[in-house]
Amino acid sequence: MAVWDLSVSVEELGAEAPPLKISVTSDLHIGGVILKVVEKTQISKDWSDHALWWEQKQQWLLKPAWTLDKCGIHADARLCLTPQHKPLQLIMPNGVTLRLRACFSSPVFRTVMGICKLLNMRHPEELSLLRPAEEKKKKKQKDEEEVFDITSAPLPTGSIVKLANGMPAFFTESPQMENVYKMLSVSQPALPPETIAKMYRPTSKVDKAQVNSRWLDSSRSLLQQGLKENDKLFLRFKYYSFHDLTPQFDAVRLTQLYEQAKWAILLEEIECTEEEMMLFAALQYHIGKVSTTEQLVASCPAMDDLDSALQCLEVKMEAETSADDMLVCMNIHTVCFLINLPKKQTLKKYKQFWFTFKDTSISYYKSKEESCKEPIQQMNLKGCEVAPDVSVAGQKFCIRLLIPEPEGMNEVYLRCDNEQQYSKWMAACRLASKGKTLADASFSSEVQSIQSFLAMQRTTPGSKAVQSDDSINTHSLVSPRYQKKYKPKQLTPRILEAYQNVAQLSLTDALLKFLQIWQALPDFGISYFVVSRFKGCRKDEVMGIANNRLIRIDMNVEEVVKTWRYNTMRQWNVNWDIKQVAIEFNGNVNIAFSCVTADCKIVHEYIGGYIFMSTRNREQNDTLNEELFHKLTGGHDAI
Amino acid sequence: MDDIDAMFTDMLEEMDLLTQSLETEITEPKPPSNSSSKSNSMQDLNFSIGFTDLNASLNELEDNDLDALMADLVADLSATEEKFAAERGSVKPQPPPAVTVPAAHFAPAAPLAPPTHVPHSAPGAPPPSKPKNELPPCPASNAPNLTSNTSVPPPPAVSSKASAEDVEAQMKADKIKLALEKLKEAKVKKLIVKVEIKDGGSKTLMVDERQMVRDVIDNLFEKTHCDGNVDWCLCETNPELQTERGFEDHENLVEPLSAWTRDSENKVIFHERKDKYEIFKNPQNFYMWKKDKKSLKDMKDKEKELLLEEHFCGTSVIVPDLEGVLYLKEEGKKSWKQRYFLLRASGMYYIPKGKTKSSRDLQCLVQFDNMNVYYCKDYKIKYKAPTDFCFILKHPQIQKESQYIKYLCCDDHWTMTLWVTGIRIAKYGKMLYENYKNAERKSSSLSSVWSNRNLQPSPSTSNASTPSPTPKAKAANGHPPQHHSEPVAKGPSNQSSFPPPPAPVDILPPPPPDPTLPPPPPPPPAWAMPVKKEPNPPRSAPQHSQPAFPPPPPMDFPPPPPLSDDAELPPDFLPPPPPVMGGFMSADLPPPPPDPFHTALPPPPAPFNPPAAAGGDLPPPPPPPPPPPASGALHPTASQRRVGPPPPKRTTPTLSAPSGGDFMSELQKAMQKKRGGQGQ
Repeated sequence: MAVWDLSVSVEELGAEAPPLKISVTSDLHIGGVILKVVEKTQISKDWSDHALWWEQKQQWLLKPAWTLDKCGIHADARLCLTPQHKPLQLIMPNGVTLRLRACFSSPVFRTVMGICKLLNMRHPEELSLLRPAEEKKKKKQKDEEEVFDITSAPLPTGSIVKLANGMPAFFTESPQMENVYKMLSVSQPALPPETIAKMYRPTSKVDKAQVNSRWLDSSRSLLQQGLKENDKLFLRFKYYSFHDLTPQFDAVRLTQLYEQAKWAILLEEIECTEEEMMLFAALQYHIGKVSTTEQLVASCPAMDDLDSALQCLEVKMEAETSADDMLVCMNIHTVCFLINLPKKQTLKKYKQFWFTFKDTSISYYKSKEESCKEPIQQMNLKGCEVAPDVSVAGQKFCIRLLIPEPEGMNEVYLRCDNEQQYSKWMAACRLASKGKTLADASFSSEVQSIQSFLAMQRTTPGSKAVQSDDSINTHSLVSPRYQKKYKPKQLTPRILEAYQNVAQLSLTDALLKFLQIWQALPDFGISYFVVSRFKGCRKDEVMGIANNRLIRIDMNVEEVVKTWRYNTMRQWNVNWDIKQVAIEFNGNVNIAFSCVTADCKIVHEYIGGYIFMSTRNREQNDTLNEELFHKLTGGHDAI
Repeated sequence: MDDIDAMFTDMLEEMDLLTQSLETEITEPKPPSNSSSKSNSMQDLNFSIGFTDLNASLNELEDNDLDALMADLVADLSATEEKFAAERGSVKPQPPPAVTVPAAHFAPAAPLAPPTHVPHSAPGAPPPSKPKNELPPCPASNAPNLTSNTSVPPPPAVSSKASAEDVEAQMKADKIKLALEKLKEAKVKKLIVKVEIKDGGSKTLMVDERQMVRDVIDNLFEKTHCDGNVDWCLCETNPELQTERGFEDHENLVEPLSAWTRDSENKVIFHERKDKYEIFKNPQNFYMWKKDKKSLKDMKDKEKELLLEEHFCGTSVIVPDLEGVLYLKEEGKKSWKQRYFLLRASGMYYIPKGKTKSSRDLQCLVQFDNMNVYYCKDYKIKYKAPTDFCFILKHPQIQKESQYIKYLCCDDHWTMTLWVTGIRIAKYGKMLYENYKNAERKSSSLSSVWSNRNLQPSPSTSNASTPSPTPKAKAANGHPPQHHSEPVAKGPSNQSSFPPPPAPVDILPPPPPDPTLPPPPPPPPAWAMPVKKEPNPPRSAPQHSQPAFPPPPPMDFPPPPPLSDDAELPPDFLPPPPPVMGGFMSADLPPPPPDPFHTALPPPPAPFNPPAAAGGDLPPPPPPPPPPPASGALHPTASQRRVGPPPPKRTTPTLSAPSGGDFMSELQKAMQKKRGGQGQ
């Protein structure tokens, strides 16, 4: 058989170095080629991760047993021997940039699996990689963000040793690495509102469709898609169908999901009402606060139980001892002013009474001396609404109570003298509204949280220098729209109001609650695409793809025109030549469209991906049916 | 109620004293206690015991005294009869005596702590059931009932001395504990509630503050012999506001009732409401309400299940995306204004004038945390509403017209149902679905009880022969068999430990020796039985033990005769002695019908009750009786499995899958093929 020269460039020799020429025959297999090249380089190192890349065809030659003939390689081919795993800058949902080694030779789907394995995130099928948006003006002066290097981690191809809590062992190798893991598994502190305001926010569904053009193709490799070493990519949850979210094992996954949700809300990628925004803000505040003290990563359930039982016990005992003190306390500090506000009367006059708080009731008397007698009135706060009316600057500390009574709500204002008194009474009122007494274990934490909230109000106006760790600008908890709409002092009480319902949640519960509310938003989980040529329609429209349905949306009014559920879908086809997706539903309903804002492969992958997600079930948890995924999402060239 | 409370407080104090004295006794157990207990048991059968008698000697502190005390207490609360029936505590212990007593014989020296536990509670439990007993039959029937329970301790005492004493002392201590618990329980807030039933009747029952609406409904099922389908609903009506609201199954009943004013004319009504769980029967009508009704009508069950799964089984419950024009009564005015409303999980919103539907512009009308939703009646007249399809949102405490109530009016009945249901989903979320599944389970277990009952008793009793599913028929044929069931269930417990009066102490000694051996075998079957579906075997198990046990009992069974009312009963009452009867019973009675125990509650019901009232709560091994109902209860739940949605089929030009057929399986096939091809 004829011997001919094959030119192979080797990355290790440098970009400038001329390609090596090796003489081969057509029946030499790929493995043999690599062996020859390696011998010729005379570099001794571990070459096991290297593979041949065929530049002209943009193809990896990954089957070592195939002969050159079988691969179709002739003398004109330019091959390159290069590592399959190369560093990549990965921007996590929480904004942290990691530098890690990712596989450039396998389909992106598997690359993501590898990355997730490295970072201890289960269910990698829900995530994918997103190209960064093209920045119009390259502002280089923008200080480079910190990149955390974890390229020292073992390659995901091997098995990764994990600790009991699922944390990969290599993260414990150095304090820096540990820090990285902590950063991944604990939510990040809020950014200053100015920064948030500067970030890009989509304003319409068309804008929201743009992001979806940037998804990488899951069935092709990174190198095939033109990515190079050290390129930046975003790791994002792509399919909004989160399977089996278990806080115990999913520390990183849960945190990253929360961060993605948080940013979606802050940047108005998903719309919500004002009330919802306040609740989200309250939860963010709470999560931020609790993250500093509580570790999400659960060690082992049995220990947890024990711990929590012990804690519970401790708290109880504390409460029991302090309950009496508290009662006394509340009796002493109780000079407040009250007025029953008659309707329509805007002038608030306050009159001084002696107040006592017992169980869930407030009683008031003319004076302290008369407190042994019958109170003027006693009000049971169970089930009442408590709202703050506070201005630290104006030294106004009022509590507004809406107490339900058979005839309606009784509106009562309590005015306290100072912050101390206010926070105690406020805490007591809040607990009472939930039917808890002062003796409840949560009383002191409630008092504290009110005080820290007040502190927040104190520091925000202007004096940035004073900001301590504890105080967060409430503006950074809401989207820019509300930053504009409300001043911090208007915003704080509203967030505080929402906060009282979540203040007692544990970190995990707060995270889950945040995700829950997010998922309950009407527009949750819809990925938008601008499509054209819906049958019988000339103008462009928006197509929304969700986990169970397709939604046709009028582009101008942004209203839903029609929805089709996947379970009524009979089949879908992609005509790759004219880039058209055609879908047939039960009852002879046919739709066909081509996608304007993204490649039709992406649309196709979304639909197939969601169908794939729906085939997962609880029993077969760990085995990811990769092949099925590719069947459902692959393009014509992938099969 | 106050009186009763006071009384209980007294009781508690006394009981404390009693426990103290008992503690001393535990350290040095005295044999005489046995005999005294027996005599006591006979004397005090009629609750003649004065529980205020603080001078009661140690002897008088015997179990039966306590029982009697308890019974007395309960008797005082004559209205509470049913409550205790429903109570698990009393229910569970009931059967054990039959099983555990033998066990005690078997290994008397062993630290019998766990098993002995059961017996104590058993004696403690029955008394409460007595008052129930009093209702249908006559009070006299108590006597045998009591003795049977109280006499549990004697056998062990005879069989082995010291250890048995210990056991007994332990039992006593436990019993006192139980009594104390019961007393504490008595401190729990209770309400006596009169429930109106749609056919005009009414039932009065006691509801304690820990009881959920579901428990009360189950209770009412027993009392009313209705078919127990999932639509049955406990509602509160407010004549002043002309509203009605169905309580959710997981709510505490006492809480909303305590919000009523003193002079309230509000009522609690028990009737069927189709809308209660309609969302789960036809989810498509709510989640796809925009689509045309016809296409939704014949939706397949599988698709419905998928809908439910999507909306209720995820991490977050998805609220139906309701939106549309409703009328809102303007605050403080008489006029109604049209607004475009939207329902979100976080609350009910409307579009302010001149704004768009976009979320940020929406104005919140209410959030649901402190609000309940009520159906309204005749608001056209009362408030000049545009239609009579109105609902209001208000704080549960508000009982009268107020500016804090949100009045809403819909164009038609269906729209109103949509909104009210939607709001309930937003408010209660997954809980509603749990409730529904629970209710479904209960109703199917109830119906299975019916069918079981109908099959088995028929041969024995001519009157129970019609297996008709309608409530009326059930009620009709329910009564006769009920009598049988009572004795039957009693049978096991009585037989095992019936020391009765006539044949005094000497009779007991002989049995113990043998009993030790025979009993062991029966228990296992008894334990296993409930799980399986065979009603008969368990029955026979206790019978085996009877002969082994006190053969004398037959003649000692004087108590039964006293049952003046149940003249025909005595025969069945003594299962073992009259062979004919025994056969009769074992064959026919095993799966006693449910009604029987509803009315004739005493001890027998215990085993049956659970399935009806407490559902799966009874798992511990309630020996013989429960099988049929239990299995019925378990059965329906088993098949609660969801299958992934049938994925649509995709055909890419390259992937030539035939159209039609199951996409997934085809894929799988194709893949296998491919794999096979590669292999070659």
